Amino acid sequence: MSKPEISSPRVTVLKFGLAIVSVAIALGLALLAQVYAIPNLEFPLLLCAIAITIWYAGNGPGALALLVAVLSFEYFFAEPRFSFYVHPADRPLFVLFILFGFIMAWFSSRRRRIERELLEARDKLEIEVAERTQQASLLNLTHDTVFVRDMSDVITYWNRGARELYGWTAQDAVGRRTHDLLQTIFPAPLEEINAELLRSGRWEGDLTHTKLDGTKIIVGSRWALQRNAQGQPDAILETNNDVTERKRAEGEIRKLNEELEQRVVERTGDLEMVNKELEAFAYSISHDLRAPLRHMAGYAELLQKNASSSFDEKSRRYMTMILESAKRMGDLIDDLLAFSRIGRAETKKTKVSLEQLVKEVLSEVRPETDGHNVGWRIDALPNLYGDRAMLRLALVNLVSNAVKFTRKRPQPEIEIGCVDGKENDIVVFIRDNGVGFDMKYVNKLFGVFQRLHRAEEFEGTGIGLATVQRIIHRHGGRVWAEGLVDQGATFYFSVPKSWEE
Amino acid sequence: MSELGRILIVEDDPKDVELTLTALEEYNLVNEVVVTRDGEEALDYLYCRGNFKMRTSDNPAVLLLDLKLPKVDGLEVLQQIKSNEKLKMIPVVVLTSSREERDMVASYKLGVNAYVVKPVDFHEFVNAIKELGIFWAVINEPPPGSIRKK
Repeated sequence: MSKPEISSPRVTVLKFGLAIVSVAIALGLALLAQVYAIPNLEFPLLLCAIAITIWYAGNGPGALALLVAVLSFEYFFAEPRFSFYVHPADRPLFVLFILFGFIMAWFSSRRRRIERELLEARDKLEIEVAERTQQASLLNLTHDTVFVRDMSDVITYWNRGARELYGWTAQDAVGRRTHDLLQTIFPAPLEEINAELLRSGRWEGDLTHTKLDGTKIIVGSRWALQRNAQGQPDAILETNNDVTERKRAEGEIRKLNEELEQRVVERTGDLEMVNKELEAFAYSISHDLRAPLRHMAGYAELLQKNASSSFDEKSRRYMTMILESAKRMGDLIDDLLAFSRIGRAETKKTKVSLEQLVKEVLSEVRPETDGHNVGWRIDALPNLYGDRAMLRLALVNLVSNAVKFTRKRPQPEIEIGCVDGKENDIVVFIRDNGVGFDMKYVNKLFGVFQRLHRAEEFEGTGIGLATVQRIIHRHGGRVWAEGLVDQGATFYFSVPKSWEE
Repeated sequence: MSELGRILIVEDDPKDVELTLTALEEYNLVNEVVVTRDGEEALDYLYCRGNFKMRTSDNPAVLLLDLKLPKVDGLEVLQQIKSNEKLKMIPVVVLTSSREERDMVASYKLGVNAYVVKPVDFHEFVNAIKELGIFWAVINEPPPGSIRKK
């Protein structure tokens, strides 16, 4: 950027003035020298005047000075003096004058050009320095750790973040070798890191550094390679973030996870053990509890057979009670075992035609209607995807409940249907016009051994609906019921549609 | 009822033994019944060793086998019988309290001929024993070399 040339009229007059004045002074001095008989001083003095004019005022005034100097020389010093006549012998002198003028003009223009270039270069430098200073102070503003090191690892810049992180001031750090100062521990051989840096211009990784106070920290480090105009690498910008705390937290999380996994393994083991115990328990119930029951029933039966003739009415009733109780206990054990088996068994999923399943269930349950003329209403039913045997057991329980609780109706009616549930559920319902139930006991319906009717009203072990619930839960569904005393009941179960083919 | 095959009962519970015998007695099947009280004794009988050294070496017409037995359990007895060239022909009926699927599967895998769950109800129990007795000791033709009473 060059400054505009100052060329106001006043300056122009001054420049030309300088030409006249400098020649006049040279002339004066030369005449004075003549008075004191100092010979041959006029020629160099006039040349000086020309040179000064060209140097300081430029070529225009220089030409004027040359003209005036030549005329003055011719008039005052060249023979014949005080005339403008040019003696042929003096001609080389004039040529010398003009030649000198040109040389001076040439020098002057060179000088000006160099001066201008220098000014421009200075301006450029000033701007660059300003920019650099601004960048450096911006870098200083950040709390991130930033420093620059040259290719021999000597620190050339050290920002405030670096001071804050490591403890050394810029004065302490600049000029030191980074890896000595920070006792860097690299995640890979330094040669590999440098090779990567030279290849791609950057490198990232975790380094371990030692601070001024001796504590070790882990930093996430990013290196960027700077190349000079010739493409030669000349500096590395290193930006570091203290990740010690994060690494520690990560380590802790990893440790916790490992502990957790270990605990899960242990708990799973415990659970498996408990499960095995439960299985053994169920097996034991199945085998060991049934045997004494069978014996009780067997011997009571034998006793009844052998001694019934000598029994009075009361004793016979007692015998009947014993046998009935044994039978009931047998049923309870069977139902409980079935219930526990559902929890333990694996579900074998297949496509199940609900329509076909309901047909089978009806033929199984029909004998329980005791000749009552039940009005069945079976809607169109979809296919389900689930464990056929389990779903069948659930349906048998629900339908046989419906039959049981409509037994005292003159016109029993049972409906089996299906409605679209919310989101992706299929809801199957079994509705009857039986004795129903009070909604305030609805929560007890699905509990094990929970019954809402007295045993002499309706038989049952109180496990059926619990079994239904367990089966449906194992299919990812839900069971619920609605009812009113003496107004019938509706049992619903949902199966997610994703199980549907 | 021309011939009566010998029934070998393996049952550790004396009450079950008594009830079983009572049931068989009702149908006059009890003469040809041998009762052993654990798996070891049953194998002794089958191999004619120990207390049974002196018996004739014929096989029983049927073996009624409980699963839960002291010393050698029922499945092991079954496994030994079915892997012995001479004994494998003996029809074996598992007669147990267990309705557990794994017991059934294990028994059938070992080649059991029938699997009967002892009913809790005495009438049903008697019926089951009677039918088993009649079927295996009378109706079924046992493999050659079985003990049969003319």
